[in-house]
Amino acid sequence: MSTYLLRKTDVRPLLKEASAVWDIFAPLREGVGDVNFKALPKDRLAEALENLVLDDEPTLLSPKTIFFPQNETMFAFGSGGIREQVESSPKLLFGVTSCDLSGLLFSDGFFAKDFPDRYYLSRSENRLIIVKGCLKPPRQGSCFCASAGTGPFAQRGFDLQLVDLGGEYLVEVGSGKGESFILAHSAFFASGDGRERAAEAVKRDATATLGPGVDFDKALRLMVTGDFEKNFARIGERCVYCGACLYVCPTCTCFNVVDRADGGSGSRMRTWDGCVFEGYTREASGHNPRPSKTARTARRYEHKLKYDPLVAGRSGCVGCGRCLDSCPVGIGMSKFIREVADGTEEM
Amino acid sequence: MTGDRNNNEYLPRPARITAVRRETFDVKTFSLEFVDRADAFSYKQGQFAEISVLGQGEVPISITSSPSRKGPMEFTIRAAGRVTSAMHDLGPGDALYLRGPYGNAFPFETLKGRNLYFVAGGIGLAPLRSLINMVLDSIEDFGDVKILYGAKNPEELCFRGELEEWKAIPGVEVYLTVDRASPGWTGPVGLVTALWDAAALSPENAVAILCGPPIMIKFAAAGLSGRGFGDEAIVMTLERYMKCGVGKCGHCNIGGSFVCTDGPVFDYAQVKRMPEKEGVF
Ligand SMILES: Cc1cc2nc3c(=O)[nH]c(=O)nc-3n(C[C@H](O)[C@H](O)[C@H](O)COP(=O)(O)OP(=O)(O)OC[C@H]3O[C@@H](n4cnc5c(N)ncnc54)[C@H](O)[C@@H]3O)c2cc1C
Ligand code: SF4
Ligand code: SF4
Ligand code: FES
Repeated sequence: MSTYLLRKTDVRPLLKEASAVWDIFAPLREGVGDVNFKALPKDRLAEALENLVLDDEPTLLSPKTIFFPQNETMFAFGSGGIREQVESSPKLLFGVTSCDLSGLLFSDGFFAKDFPDRYYLSRSENRLIIVKGCLKPPRQGSCFCASAGTGPFAQRGFDLQLVDLGGEYLVEVGSGKGESFILAHSAFFASGDGRERAAEAVKRDATATLGPGVDFDKALRLMVTGDFEKNFARIGERCVYCGACLYVCPTCTCFNVVDRADGGSGSRMRTWDGCVFEGYTREASGHNPRPSKTARTARRYEHKLKYDPLVAGRSGCVGCGRCLDSCPVGIGMSKFIREVADGTEEM
Repeated sequence: MTGDRNNNEYLPRPARITAVRRETFDVKTFSLEFVDRADAFSYKQGQFAEISVLGQGEVPISITSSPSRKGPMEFTIRAAGRVTSAMHDLGPGDALYLRGPYGNAFPFETLKGRNLYFVAGGIGLAPLRSLINMVLDSIEDFGDVKILYGAKNPEELCFRGELEEWKAIPGVEVYLTVDRASPGWTGPVGLVTALWDAAALSPENAVAILCGPPIMIKFAAAGLSGRGFGDEAIVMTLERYMKCGVGKCGHCNIGGSFVCTDGPVFDYAQVKRMPEKEGVF
């Protein structure tokens, strides 16, 4: 793998230059203080780059929102029939965490299999992902990427990965697309020869900041053989069914479909939906095969930890810690995994 | 079951209603043909389509016509809510949009040489009708065919004309029952499971194919099991709320399966392996 060096002071000029070709998505501090992946507006680039967040601050929503937005138009209809609405601009994602990269790769696989999802795939067909590994957990106490095997630095799947060496980044190249990007903007990159060992040390230190973690593999094994109905019942009683955990999760992909119409024209939209909601499975007759809180709560944990490993060959939880951080009543995947692996009662 | 990457599976094709036949006070059968391409799409017995009334929404509906017969696609639809009621307001010449076909299918080749019991409740006869007519079109390949059909009351029996035609075919028997009789009804009263004895139900070299409300499926499957039918000889459809039909929206999942792509047809052995708490029935 070839490596390069990128000075931190060159990040903004680089993004500015790259914006001629790419729509750039990066962690930006928004008006209210939240940090989220947002498109840099091309007409107010300098101003927007002021809000670029380069230290390890947590993004509220995962970058799945770029390819699977909270609501999107599938097609418009009217007197002229149906007009498909797809979007496929070239997208450069700058500063994606390693766990979020795993989440994106997981969602890629899901949307591409069997019947390919044209909306997700066309949004993501022309993209470049620049990962920036975390030096310390953005969600201290909630992150468990090291236990889940998804971070804090990525092994593969990125186009470029940045390792923070202080005043500069060591840039690891993970794909031909990544290499081409460096060639296209070669003025910003110097050779990284000789700095790889320093980068390895940074990665080791970063992993150490994550603390003791959870026994993820043990939990995955026990999910197949064990009985956790009591846990689901207890957690299901405490949950307020707000859906926050699903919306922030990088691998939750469920959606609802609705038509909006005014007279003879309108559009078909899809919006995020979630398995914890009572109406998610309720049919027109009123029959609801999965009405109980316990069963709906179980669905969320079992889908990610039991059925995804079975069907997709890997866990649907990537250990980002967002669900715990955003839950108003302190429910979270890391706590659940601890309950399963250690037999404790965490929530 | 794989699609084309550049093909947008969510885009429905324009179709036109060519005929509407009333079955009961809230059920109608619609004949449809595509507007963009005249060819009816090729489908298998037991598959469904996603039908849209633009502006109202989209719903999964079984294809009730038989792949063994030329002619329009037919859908038998109960006015259950927003979209299905909007469909009931439409008539010949009106536009609908549809995509599909989706889902697996009822077995066919493996049924040859066997005695067949079709067990249906209410509008559940619609998907079964596709297979029934396919079987009847090569009846010499099959053993006895018995159709056991129940509805809430006599007025809610669908396909009444066709039931009479089926009855007249040698080797075919039709048994009807209703939950509540109304004046003029001389047949049996009770659940469809109460027809077992009248139909001289026997598991020998037989396969039972079930379609109806979840509660009927549950009791009928257990009842057939009790009468000696093996789990593979009890075939049924499962119903789940569906939004996409293509394994993406998540709504129809049970355990690691999607009813829309792995089903809706399952045998009892598969159903028994599903996690019961997910509300299989
Ligand atoms: C595989 C399959 C085949 C079906 N075949 C037939 C058929 O041949 N004839 C028939 O009359 N009905 C059939 N149904 C049931 C039919 O889809 C529902 O009655 C219909 O979706 C109700 O929609 P609505 O908008 O009228 O009601 P609303 O209550 O307004 O429903 C709103 C939305 O909920 C969803 N929904 C509600 N109930 C169901 C349900 N039971 N199954 C799936 N989605 C649901 C739909 O997306 C619908 O648009 C079938 C269902 C499935 C899953
Ligand atoms: S379940 Fe929670 S910790 Fe796991 S990927 Fe989703 S939001 Fe992150
Ligand atoms: S965020 Fe917490 S309270 Fe809200 S649905 Fe998820 S688990 Fe329940
Ligand atoms: S209906 Fe959407 S996943 Fe089955």
